[in-house]
Amino acid sequence: MAHTTNNFSEWVNLQLDSDSSFAVSEAVRSPSLSKLAGGVFPTRKDEEWRYTPLGDLLDSSPGRDTTVVLDHEYIESLKQAMPSAHTIVFLNGEYSQKYSDSPTALEDSGLNISPLGQLEGTALKLAEDTILNSTLTDDNIFQHIALGLSQNGLFIEVNKNIEGQTPIHVIYISTAHGVTAFTSPVNVIRVSSNSHLKVVEQYASLGEAAVITVPASYVQLEDGAGLDYYKIGIENARTNHICNTSVRVAGSGTFRSHQYLLGSNLTRSNLEVSFTGPGAEAILRGVYLGDENQHLDVRTYLDHAHPHCSSDQHFRGILNGHSRGVFNGLVLVQEHAQKTDAQQSNKNLLLSRDARVDTKPQLEIFADDVKCAHGATVGELDSDALFYLQSRGIDKKDATLMLTRAFAAEVTQEIDIDSLQTYVQDKISASLDEIVIPSV
Amino acid sequence: MLSIKNLQVSVEEKPILKGLNLEVKPGEIHAIMGPNGSGKSTLAHVLSGREGYSVDAGSAHYKGLNLLEMAPEIRAREGMFLAFQYPIEIPGVNNTSFLKKALNEIRKHRGEEELDAIDFLSLIKKQMKLVEMKEELLKRPVNQGFSGGEKKRNEILQMAVLNPTLAILDETDSGLDIDALRIVAGGVNKLRSADNSFVVITHYQRLLDYIIPDFVHVLSDGQIIKSGTKDLALELEERGYDWLIEEAESKD
Repeated sequence: MAHTTNNFSEWVNLQLDSDSSFAVSEAVRSPSLSKLAGGVFPTRKDEEWRYTPLGDLLDSSPGRDTTVVLDHEYIESLKQAMPSAHTIVFLNGEYSQKYSDSPTALEDSGLNISPLGQLEGTALKLAEDTILNSTLTDDNIFQHIALGLSQNGLFIEVNKNIEGQTPIHVIYISTAHGVTAFTSPVNVIRVSSNSHLKVVEQYASLGEAAVITVPASYVQLEDGAGLDYYKIGIENARTNHICNTSVRVAGSGTFRSHQYLLGSNLTRSNLEVSFTGPGAEAILRGVYLGDENQHLDVRTYLDHAHPHCSSDQHFRGILNGHSRGVFNGLVLVQEHAQKTDAQQSNKNLLLSRDARVDTKPQLEIFADDVKCAHGATVGELDSDALFYLQSRGIDKKDATLMLTRAFAAEVTQEIDIDSLQTYVQDKISASLDEIVIPSV
Repeated sequence: MLSIKNLQVSVEEKPILKGLNLEVKPGEIHAIMGPNGSGKSTLAHVLSGREGYSVDAGSAHYKGLNLLEMAPEIRAREGMFLAFQYPIEIPGVNNTSFLKKALNEIRKHRGEEELDAIDFLSLIKKQMKLVEMKEELLKRPVNQGFSGGEKKRNEILQMAVLNPTLAILDETDSGLDIDALRIVAGGVNKLRSADNSFVVITHYQRLLDYIIPDFVHVLSDGQIIKSGTKDLALELEERGYDWLIEEAESKD
């Protein structure tokens, strides 16, 4: 990595001395602070960042927007995704009591939910232990930004043997007027033995100025625990979003993740899953939809460190205009991880000649009794299918829309929350309605 | 209804149809038979507007409209229907919503009101009985995981729902067992009327035991070399195509 000065790293350095309150304690922050003081940001010369330009982000110097105006309808439109969930809203990085459901609604539910900044005692210790246990590597500078600069975030803890709990819907809204907005929420989710929870994280942005969002999320599932973890990115085209998620799944636990990256100027999502006991399972799904000059970069890392675990990944990209997609998925099967079942599939649909995708599914297998497969495809719409629809009276534009929606629906149909499935599919349809122009 | 004159079509500069003439009047069923490679499927594809075919000479008019200048969807909206030899599987597109969309596009074109979900369902359920199709197939993606026979029945179901004035059946009998063949043919027969015409393309005579044609044409090397009634099909069944081809060649 080259040491270069840029507006963003200068700004980061100014923040290090700031006396505002932070989400995590000094003990957790300080290693990140020293990393940040070095001010080293990756460039395209770094293999891990070869395809993803950080120029826009590094050029910017965030400020603080004090003119936050949110209308009620806007919040309601975001809540549509999960009308019956327990909603928590973060506005420009701060917990919004006004827009969040009252925590009293969850009393005696076996669920402990609190803004990270308000944690004390054992809960704080638990949250920070989860962070310190993470799989994210020390050279992951954006993790350090999140930990070093985060003002707040969310802590969710589920007690043992809790099933059928109300889903949690966390909405992060950034507003940017006049100056670049910056937030870096840190989230910690812990699910205890034999409990199950659904969490939806939704990211949105407003305003004419640029937005930088750098979340870091830390998930830990105990034996037999389950988490359905949805990430919905619908930020505006002035938003750069770089997130890191570290997940540790204990024996017989099930981690299900869906990511829908449907907005932003640039998104880079890094999801790392590590099995810490036998018989655990990870199911990763995702769709990235890009147009114009959008850049969407999905990375997954699956560490099969124990036997009898299974992972199944299915990601699909739809790219139009000059947009660019990147999929980089690494599955590591360690020597003693016998009977591993690891599947990985990445399919991409290019709707324009100038769109591009770089896909790199990788398997590193050190065990000998495993079932592993991976594959990637990049293609255009099936011309036979297009003709079939046209021959039934459907014009080329509608046929293209139907097939493109269908391509995404192969993944979105697995969303097992009806309102969320409809919300995501409608978002995808609305975006496609705008971008699909018949190439007649 | 359909008037094809001296139609010459090539694929990648290789001539396939070499001056084909055909007149189909309302209410008629025409069978087009011929050996493999004679140009049968090319004819079906060109009439339905598939890309990849170059029309080098001749004309094709449907209800007085210049067919060859119309987009495939316009042909469909004007009442043409092609039953595919190999129906396409379309993952992620629901069979019912696809067919509803198709029907409503055609209705819009005709200036008719679009059907809502309830009216559409009652229509489709009625037509499904015609082809003895299982209702669960409506909930599945178009043709995905359908057996060969189910795909062909789905084609006839689409035809029944869209109610075309001219239907072209491209080797609809291929790959069907005798029961499926009977059901498919039964569907066609129920849709027969004084206003509707059919062009039935087939390699074998057996389909014509169930769909009785008014005319039988033999296509060989891109031209119709003989036309006759259903008796011609029986003769072909008995004697094969070679004698006809030889006869046609000796005339040249």
